[in-house]
Amino acid sequence: MIQLKNIVKNYGQHEILRGVSLSVARGEVCVLLGPSGGGKSTLLRTINGLESFHSGEIQVDEIVLPAAGHSDREPALTRIRKRVGMVFQQFHLFPHRTVLQNVMEAPVHVLKQPKEQVRTLAKRLLDRVGLADKCDVYPGSLSGGQQQRVAIARTLAMKPEAILFDEPTSALDPRMTAEVTSVMSDLAKEGQTMIVVTHGLGFARAVGHQVHLLHAGQIAESGPPEMIFENPQTDVTKSFLSEIHQA
Amino acid sequence: MGTTSPDGTRNRLVRFCLLLGAITLFPWCDFATAGDGLEKVRKRGTLIWGADQEGGGPFVYPAEDDPNRLEGFEVELAQILAESLGVRSQFQQGQWDKLPDLLTRGDIDIVLNGYEWTPIRAERYGASIPYYIYELQLLGRQNDSTLKSWDDLFNPPDGKKKRVAILGGSAAQDYLEKFLGNRVEIANFDGVSDAMRAVELNADGIDANLQDLPIWTFYQGGFPQLTAIGDPVGRGFYVALTRKEDPELLQAINTAIFSALQDGRLRRVLAKYRMWNDTQSLRGLETNPQGCFVGMTTNTNENEAEAEQSYISVRGFSVVQQRGWLLVKAAGMTVVLAATAMPLAILIGLMMALFRLYGPWFLRIPATMYVELIRGTPLVLQLYVLFFLLPEIGITVNAFWAAVAGLALNYSAYEAEIYRAGLQAIPHGQMEAAQSLGFSQALALRRIIIPQATRIVIPPVTNDFIALFKDTAVCSVITVVELSKEYYIQARSTGAILELGLLTALLYLAMSYPLSLVAGRLEKRLMAEKRT
Repeated sequence: MIQLKNIVKNYGQHEILRGVSLSVARGEVCVLLGPSGGGKSTLLRTINGLESFHSGEIQVDEIVLPAAGHSDREPALTRIRKRVGMVFQQFHLFPHRTVLQNVMEAPVHVLKQPKEQVRTLAKRLLDRVGLADKCDVYPGSLSGGQQQRVAIARTLAMKPEAILFDEPTSALDPRMTAEVTSVMSDLAKEGQTMIVVTHGLGFARAVGHQVHLLHAGQIAESGPPEMIFENPQTDVTKSFLSEIHQA
Repeated sequence: MGTTSPDGTRNRLVRFCLLLGAITLFPWCDFATAGDGLEKVRKRGTLIWGADQEGGGPFVYPAEDDPNRLEGFEVELAQILAESLGVRSQFQQGQWDKLPDLLTRGDIDIVLNGYEWTPIRAERYGASIPYYIYELQLLGRQNDSTLKSWDDLFNPPDGKKKRVAILGGSAAQDYLEKFLGNRVEIANFDGVSDAMRAVELNADGIDANLQDLPIWTFYQGGFPQLTAIGDPVGRGFYVALTRKEDPELLQAINTAIFSALQDGRLRRVLAKYRMWNDTQSLRGLETNPQGCFVGMTTNTNENEAEAEQSYISVRGFSVVQQRGWLLVKAAGMTVVLAATAMPLAILIGLMMALFRLYGPWFLRIPATMYVELIRGTPLVLQLYVLFFLLPEIGITVNAFWAAVAGLALNYSAYEAEIYRAGLQAIPHGQMEAAQSLGFSQALALRRIIIPQATRIVIPPVTNDFIALFKDTAVCSVITVVELSKEYYIQARSTGAILELGLLTALLYLAMSYPLSLVAGRLEKRLMAEKRT
């Protein structure tokens, strides 16, 4: 469903991504692991255009997203963003809108769907993430875990074919992490395509279908979680896992 | 007819060249000058004369019993002039030093407000024969033993240079600079009565005032501690000014003044304001109905009974009662100006801020230049350009809209900077979140970024709104009479500086305080989103 072909990105002399290729099937939970600075988040953000890339190509279904500077890029991005949602580490809820309004905002104003229909959907989604009683409060009064669940509901309201998660639990304490992880696991069970950047090995092991380990802008190793965790093939993976376990 | 002769072709070519020349010269052409001033006055049925009420008695000032009615010898002279043109006279308020600009702009037909004849003015404008011969009177404090004569001014007995107050740009200034040079220090004032008050109070060390004699005669009663020093000096002429291009109108004005001198109408008006004196008599123009010269007409006793009460200061509560509502009405103008200009300023400012932050270079660069240019030039200059220079390229705006445009323009530069800061304060993640949900940049700005920035800018924008209320006062340079100008007019014609000043301050407070309250409430309500 999503293919990345030989993605390259530089910051001046510095190469952030050095030709990364990756493919995600429909219904797959794809986990990107790796040390900080390895390029995981950057790679994720290239998919919906929050980061540009200098060469290579991304394909989402039939939509082809070319490298920066290409005239076809903007129209492709507009279409991709309506199909691929994103959840951020820092939630980025709209503080001037209530929880319900946050969830309704995009379907009403981007997709121009009728308000009443969207309201019913939004309430159902908030109920699903366990926040039916918080519809009319402002995000500022919610805990981090609650905010992240609202953010997931906000993304789901667009009925995305795939969701990008950019370290969704890194700003949360363990209890709140569990709240969010459980919502994500439910989504995975329902067959939601997801690409998840995380440091949570537990989540990767329990929910992930494919794990890719990024190091220095390249994929060091790919495979199903049991293989990566039980039987790592490369030194990079081995040292990464041992560092994580020591920490 | 029907065929094109070679001459016709050449004519067309000539006309084309002339047109081309006209277009090239376009910015320098003066469109306000039609040269048919007299005809226009007759067609309109009114002679519009410009003066500044703030200058006060005996020229033009609000009547004591009815502040809506104008009094003053120039008011009556304007009636005489209009009558002899067969039209009615119509007063147009303008700031004194900007009256010639109003004339050029075409807002008024003549300037009639104690304008002295000077060679420069005579070159630039049509200057009528004088309707009054003024002299300058030196004034000092009665109890000041160091200033008893002009000699004391030349050689101060205590060796300290005297400080002399004068009306900026007046004949008195020219006289002092010419004859005393640097033997005295000159202090410039805007209002004639202010200069006298400064002497009386010895404010800022002011010792003396060189004043037009008719003004001193008129205000004498209001300043009991002042005294005239020496004989009047520096004779000169008050003349009416027309546009240079209106010689027929100038001729008609001259004829009217001359006949009013001849049949004694002008003498009676001047006598009414205690302005007739030997100097005027020496013109020797007045005849009786049979055409015989009447001789010296110095005896003004016959007029004493009906003589206009000269300056009496009206003080206390009664003046507030009588003139207060005029200030309230003028405050209405202040409110309308500010309330119209501020939303426009916010709108333009927001647009400029968006251009600077999100626009392509061809919007970003002009927007940056706009902000720097507008912020770097004074409001009064912007108003002046809008009102007086735009007509020269064929764009005429009336005073109210020029004032609104000037204020909106000026404040938009500040609002742009405030909004720029507000927009930049919104975390970048908000734009990313919106974009990841499929928002275009424009939609994200409209729905997500600008609403949040607006909450941030409420306090500084309110601050500017309150400042704008006070800055409307500057609009008096382009004839708009708002609260401050009305205060100056009324305070100077009554002397009730404190009483009317308190009322004016209260009115300004009544405008700005509710605004602070509303903004405070709004802020609290919007900030509540962050907590509840």
